[in-house]
Amino acid sequence: MAAPSAAGLGRRLRAWLPRIMPVRWSRYNPSYLEPEVKTESYQKPLEELTEEEKKQTELKAVRPIKAAPPTLSSSVFSDPMISKFTNMMMKSGNKVLARSLMSQTLEAIKRKQLEKYHKAPENEKETIECNPYVIFHQALKNCQPIIGLSNITRGGKTYQVPVPLTDNRKRFLAMKWLITECRENKHRRTMMPEKLSQELLLAFNNEGPVIKKKHVLHKMAEANRAYAHFRWW
Amino acid sequence: TLRLICTTTAVQRKNGGPPGPEKYTEAFIKKQIEEFNLGKRHLANMMGEDPETFTQEDIDRAIAYLFPSGLFDEQARPLMKHPTEVFPEQRKIQWGEDGRPFHFLFYTGKQSYYSLMHETYEKLLNVQKHEEQLIAQDLPLQKEKRNLAGSRWLTKIELEEMLLEKVSDDDYSRFIQLLQKLVALPCADIEEKYIQKFSKELPVQLQKVVIEPLQYDERGVAFSTGEGKRKTASATAVVYDNGTGKITVNGIDILHYFPVLQDREQLLFPFQFLGRIGKHDMVCTVSGGGRSAQAGAIRLASAKALRSFVTEKEVEFMRQAGLLTVDPRVKERKKPGQEGPRRKFTWKKR
Repeated sequence: MAAPSAAGLGRRLRAWLPRIMPVRWSRYNPSYLEPEVKTESYQKPLEELTEEEKKQTELKAVRPIKAAPPTLSSSVFSDPMISKFTNMMMKSGNKVLARSLMSQTLEAIKRKQLEKYHKAPENEKETIECNPYVIFHQALKNCQPIIGLSNITRGGKTYQVPVPLTDNRKRFLAMKWLITECRENKHRRTMMPEKLSQELLLAFNNEGPVIKKKHVLHKMAEANRAYAHFRWW
Repeated sequence: TLRLICTTTAVQRKNGGPPGPEKYTEAFIKKQIEEFNLGKRHLANMMGEDPETFTQEDIDRAIAYLFPSGLFDEQARPLMKHPTEVFPEQRKIQWGEDGRPFHFLFYTGKQSYYSLMHETYEKLLNVQKHEEQLIAQDLPLQKEKRNLAGSRWLTKIELEEMLLEKVSDDDYSRFIQLLQKLVALPCADIEEKYIQKFSKELPVQLQKVVIEPLQYDERGVAFSTGEGKRKTASATAVVYDNGTGKITVNGIDILHYFPVLQDREQLLFPFQFLGRIGKHDMVCTVSGGGRSAQAGAIRLASAKALRSFVTEKEVEFMRQAGLLTVDPRVKERKKPGQEGPRRKFTWKKR
């Protein structure tokens, strides 16, 4: 392999270019840990940490750490969920366009909420949420399914078996459903930010087609409860 | 007259199979060492230096001078090293004159590995017996945990070198699991010496890097430089103290050079992390790469420059935030038979 390699721990550990290329590999040696960007976690004094956190800090002092990716930053404006969503919305590597669509969406949400806020009577003003980040996070959480279906083949027939999902998978499904919903079921002339803000607000109030899809999935899982014992993991 | 020729299968096979690695006898290695020492003295005489104090580096320099080679591969160039480095350590023949092997586990094929596992398990049983004795005498068990963060186990290659035979991945992981089980027991301190044979110290990461002191320019303002690379872009940054937070790249202000918000956020990341946004001025030069690679390179350069302004603890925090590591990700090469690094050609049925 003529590719350059990163500075590793020593001669033996540095050769992290596997001879036979496995499908999933990374340029980092597996001993590298993920970076922690938030400033608050570094300002906590030693006594307040739990046992696990103390072990983590000790481990971090000895192990090398990966470089922070360009989407991650310690400023208050960078949110890992939002950057994940932007990456999923991106087409052919056009991050600039995806980022601008995202900021237009958040602006549209804020505008709609402010309109509602100014029109509402005094007693209801406190219940209206104006922060677009809070709305985004809550909408995503409402869209996440709890249980998923997986195809398992037994004796020639394929059954849909209810299966627990990991956190990452739930978040991915919620974001994927939102994006496909906005790309397909709309009038030809509506812009993406408009449609997305509409969907997010509906999801925030537990209404809308994405929430319906989640409920349909839950009902299917409940209906196929009898096959749950097919799962072996 | 006819003659009946009876042959056995052993005689029928003429070829002895593929020859394995050359086995060196001890006498051979001794002769090589003598020749090496003699050659070293001759070389020292030739170069006009003292034969008594002729080190390996001097030998390398002399050989490179006397036999200059333009070959690309370093291992193909003329080499003169001590025979123990040239001839890999091999196991001596494992059986005696009568053909009977010395070790009782010889016929398993991996005698050193299995004997190691047996030894380790013996130590484990020992520790358990000791623990039971302590419980029987109602004495308290020692609960001090070994600090696992400061040491690592031997890698597979190091284990292979220690045992002088091939160890498969499965065997290696079993061995490590057994060692971890041993260490997890409360009275494992008895076998501390045995365990230390298989663990290596991990030095604290920060001690390796030398932080340069601040330099002062004509007006008395403190400044420091840093260099950074990302993909194909390389950048140098000079960070001045007592500034207003102005950043210039290749003579152009960052608002004009980086129209995208993400790149400017990356430039300000080290300053924001340390809380020194309006306090420093920066002048950088960058070349190569694309827009995001240049931003990453400048970020690394400015983080390295800021190390001189900041306490050691904060440098450690910067390292743990991933600001001081060079990003090793580069474009993956295209492979033959495929359209790109991962994409294969369109599959056509006929």
